Amino acid sequence: MLTSYSNDLKPITDLAQSFAARELVGKTGKHDRYPFGEFYDHVLDKAHEVGFLGAILPESLGGIGGGIAALCEILLHICEADASPGGIIFTQAFSQKIMLAAGAQDLAQSIFPGASSAKDLLVAFPAYTNPAQTDSLPLAQSAGSDYNLTGRLELLVLGNLARQAIIPARSGIGPSYSFFLVNLDDQNVEKSEPVFTLGLHACPAVDVTFSGVRARLIGEENTGRHYFEEISPEMNAAAAAMNAGILRGAFNEALAYSQKREQGGRPIVNWSEIGMMLASISVKADVAAMCVHQSCLELEQKKSGYEPRVSAAALHIAELSCDATSDGIQILGGYGYMKDYAQEKRYRDARMVQALLGTVPFKKLDIIRQATNTNPNNV
Amino acid sequence: MLTNSEVVSILSHFPKFEDTWLGLSYAPHMPKHMVKETREVIAIARKFNEEVANPLALKLDRLTHKDPDYLPWELVEEANRWGLYTMWIPKIFGGHGYNMPSMSCFSEEVASVCVGIMNVIGVHYLAVAGLTASGNIRLAKKILREVVEGEKSGKPCVLALATTEPGAGTDVEEVDLVDKGKVTCQAKRVKGGFIVNGTKVFISMGHVSSWTVLYAYEDTKHPSETTIGFIVKTGTKGFSFGSHENKMGQRVCPASVLIFEDCFIPDDQVLFSSALVKKFTNKPARDISQRYCDYVVSATRPGVCAFGIGVARGAFETALHYASTTSVNGRLLINQEWAQCMLAEMHKNVILGRLAYTEANNANSHRGLYRLLQSKPVYYYLKAMPRFWFDKVISPMLNWEITARVMGKLLFDMPKPEDQRCCSGWASVAKITGTDLGVKNCQMAIEIMGQKGLRQDAGVEKMLRDIKLLQIYEGTNQLNRLNAFKCLIAPQVPQAQVFEE
Ligand SMILES: Cc1cc2nc3c(=O)[nH]c(=O)nc-3n(C[C@H](O)[C@H](O)[C@H](O)COP(=O)(O)OP(=O)(O)OC[C@H]3O[C@@H](n4cnc5c(N)ncnc54)[C@H](O)[C@@H]3O)c2cc1C
Repeated sequence: MLTSYSNDLKPITDLAQSFAARELVGKTGKHDRYPFGEFYDHVLDKAHEVGFLGAILPESLGGIGGGIAALCEILLHICEADASPGGIIFTQAFSQKIMLAAGAQDLAQSIFPGASSAKDLLVAFPAYTNPAQTDSLPLAQSAGSDYNLTGRLELLVLGNLARQAIIPARSGIGPSYSFFLVNLDDQNVEKSEPVFTLGLHACPAVDVTFSGVRARLIGEENTGRHYFEEISPEMNAAAAAMNAGILRGAFNEALAYSQKREQGGRPIVNWSEIGMMLASISVKADVAAMCVHQSCLELEQKKSGYEPRVSAAALHIAELSCDATSDGIQILGGYGYMKDYAQEKRYRDARMVQALLGTVPFKKLDIIRQATNTNPNNV
Repeated sequence: MLTNSEVVSILSHFPKFEDTWLGLSYAPHMPKHMVKETREVIAIARKFNEEVANPLALKLDRLTHKDPDYLPWELVEEANRWGLYTMWIPKIFGGHGYNMPSMSCFSEEVASVCVGIMNVIGVHYLAVAGLTASGNIRLAKKILREVVEGEKSGKPCVLALATTEPGAGTDVEEVDLVDKGKVTCQAKRVKGGFIVNGTKVFISMGHVSSWTVLYAYEDTKHPSETTIGFIVKTGTKGFSFGSHENKMGQRVCPASVLIFEDCFIPDDQVLFSSALVKKFTNKPARDISQRYCDYVVSATRPGVCAFGIGVARGAFETALHYASTTSVNGRLLINQEWAQCMLAEMHKNVILGRLAYTEANNANSHRGLYRLLQSKPVYYYLKAMPRFWFDKVISPMLNWEITARVMGKLLFDMPKPEDQRCCSGWASVAKITGTDLGVKNCQMAIEIMGQKGLRQDAGVEKMLRDIKLLQIYEGTNQLNRLNAFKCLIAPQVPQAQVFEE
């Protein structure tokens, strides 16, 4: 979909499409059974094999060095079929970006190039959290060259799969926080069972409790917010791409169904109200794809004020996707409500993706904070 | 200032006073005691929530994900112990006879905790509406007395209603569409009854019900004129269940596939047919089907609005609690202006939806199915007379031919078409309003609550899954919009045609 953006993306597009067709289409219901059914390890391994777990990682660190447009292209196509693996790719990119933004090349070097399996490569991250807007982060206490973390963090994405995690924690009073690398196999880490969430079941998250676990600082102390904000525009574009993919999937399935299903003696697509609903989903899907495309350009050109524009795209697409996935079910009537079709999952996943990088109202207020340069406490 | 006839003339223009300010028109006719009764019903619902629904809602949802074959037998038994399957069965049939509109208030309360659990109770009354609106008092009495017996014996007798078919969902909800559609459930006349063949899908509570109100067609090419309603017992030869569906939400309430293979149903289980009703009216068969359909949906769609508003309220209350206990940037959300406005908006949605179902119920009370039972003399008579009076004296009278004749006339011959349209149109308006606002509130709650809202243990994500169904069943909201247009708008526009594009 972003191929017009650069011909270089063509191989990525083909790869993502064939991956989705082979590994995901028709299997989303089964994959979505997790945590009550099996986890799709083989899909994760395949994603690793083809390099999706290192999409934005430089080649020197074992990635494919694709940049944000490549990441978005992958996410669009994967999420069109099933957003759960998209969530894994997104979270992995988030962790990697934090390390790179913090200049923690050494840490990245110690994890990524040598990883022999997907699980070795994964770095868990609380992808639904904006730490600056979370009053109760774990506490970090200095202990020689390292730190000890204490406290609880909810919804650590990939926490039950990854060996390590990036954890935001506060080391002093006040809102500043830092990122730390934690070994999740440490005995002072207690992980819950995978949390039963609205959607993205196959991109699991756990609650973790730290009781004095050793942690390595990533970058500078009390600079977490800076790193987070630096990479937010790119991660916002990635989240936008996920919802754009979900939207495209919702439209395709609704259109196909409406041509087959007959009511009132004709295919329902021929009732103009259904036509109107389809048009509305189609408009949303196209606008979303354009917003993702434009976001990638903005991120490349970095013209003044691009950050809130990309954030706006992500917010807008999420809203469109939440609306359209509801209509996506509606067009299928009772069948759309059943797990035999993928529409109900899209309805759930769209809202999960909307919540990535923090709470919607605060993301909105942040745009105005940036525009007015005001203290977040005043907005 | 104006003469009486001027007022009458001016108010007869669209929107007519009578079709618009329904509560105002009904108020002088409402038995005052209904208020006391409704207060009691709401209190029962709250107690039920505290003791049953609250502890079970999330637990059962989780259980049904672990075990998709789960069926809610224990819950049905519990609801039966609470008397919930007879509360709104009229006293003449042995029930507790609470006024029908109070059921919407009950539904809102229970749905604010778990609309799936409310459905386990409420779908039974969809079938009760199907039974009583048929005018077949003899058969209604037989079945509803069994429900009452089930309560006494502790062996629940729950009812389901089956109309949807694999190839006909919207079509069987609308008499104007059904002849164009592909219905396949056929009833063939044989000696002493009918042989039924066909499949019904998405039938709520099918697997756990004792009796099903079933609709089939003598001529599947002309279903609008040949609709036959049956009452069929679970276990009858030729009637079996297929799977039950793997749904996104409301998982505690099963949606079943019903299969009829050469299923013989005797004549005395024919609940409704235009042939039966023809004895009391000379209206065309199609109009009779439309009237029957309108009675049922006019009674049940305001209930679905109440379900939706219950969920809207649950979402509001969950978000309110979250905002009252969560600080961001050192300040409680509840003290941040944007959150106050969002919460006020959600609360407004609840109030609006409640008004919608109240008005739709007012339409039924003043001009529709509840009119007779809620007229002051009948209402107070039913209140005053002891139970044995109904059991011993009134009950045998329900088998009389004259009773059938009176009911047939009252339901199918005497009512005016404009009353029928008013009730059906308002029911659709309420249904759309309550369910759309429900979805809106769940979305707002999940946005306010951020990552907390995504967790099943926080409650609101389940509401978001549950609420979506309400925009689909009892006629999709699209069909209900078209019905609202057909009933409330099109009669003012002579050139308007519905379902004819
Ligand atoms: C969980 C669940 C429980 C249910 N419980 C019961 C029950 O207890 N008993 C029972 O009988 N049924 C029940 N139903 C069935 C329900 O009433 C139907 O699903 C509903 O009427 C829609 O029918 P359908 O699913 O076949 O959708 P369809 O009729 O196929 O509709 C598909 C889409 O086309 C649209 N459409 C269809 N015709 C038109 C038209 N003419 N103009 C414009 N748009 C149109 C619809 O609005 C919808 O968006 C239940 C359904 C579900 C999902």
